[in-house]
Amino acid sequence: FRFKDSLAEDLQSADLVISHAGAGSCLETLEKGKPLIVVINDKLMDNHQLELAKQLHRDGCVLYCNCSNLVETLQSMDLSALKPFPPGQPEKFASFLDKVFGLQ
Amino acid sequence: TGGHTTEILRLLSCLSESYSPRHYVLADSDKMSEAKIRSFEQKRAKTYSKSQFTLDRIPRSREVRQSWISSVVTTLYSILYSLPLTYKRKPDLILCNGPGTCVPVCLSAFLLGLLRIKRTIIVYVESICRVETLSLSGKILYYFSDYFIVQWPDLKKKYPKSVYLGRIV
Repeated sequence: FRFKDSLAEDLQSADLVISHAGAGSCLETLEKGKPLIVVINDKLMDNHQLELAKQLHRDGCVLYCNCSNLVETLQSMDLSALKPFPPGQPEKFASFLDKVFGLQ
Repeated sequence: TGGHTTEILRLLSCLSESYSPRHYVLADSDKMSEAKIRSFEQKRAKTYSKSQFTLDRIPRSREVRQSWISSVVTTLYSILYSLPLTYKRKPDLILCNGPGTCVPVCLSAFLLGLLRIKRTIIVYVESICRVETLSLSGKILYYFSDYFIVQWPDLKKKYPKSVYLGRIV
């Protein structure tokens, strides 16, 4: 299982995802509408990775814990309280660029 | 690289065929992006049959956590390497979103602009991962880009010259 090309199939069939704070993992999971618990590795402390996880937590879209309290989190979690993650809007970007180039 | 490629292809997804031909520039060490790009372009060609794109590679300008001093040297080397490529393509628009690879390409285009050889519009979109702080590429290109787009409001506050359109990927 080390490195699959895509986790899309596994994600599709999962009921709950527990992941590290990598942006790709978080976003892919949330976009498929799966509940997500993000586990922070205190020892790695790559601050920039944490920014997105923290924000998603503030927005109520993910649950958040570290390795030592993962079990507790799993026992007390309320997945129904998680808010849906609205998709990004690349059309706004296209619109903006069109204006820049006078294409609108 | 990886996440950057995925993000940038999403940015491209809604662009019309006015933004053509597309010239992709990758780091020589990037193994995965080429497949993603070809797949994107193949799909696109089904809707826009005359769609065109090219792929070029340049030496990677900086490894993750590479030291400051050696980064300056490798980046300078990458800028010199990028100049003939940028000169050849003379793009009207450079769109980038943060991998180290984009800095030399943008700086080479900026230089060609100063030399009045070609005026390229540089649009930088900071990654969605950047909520509170800018990446190093972002910090540099904030001063060299024509439009600097951020995806979270905190960054708009910290970098007032940036453009905030909400989440776009």
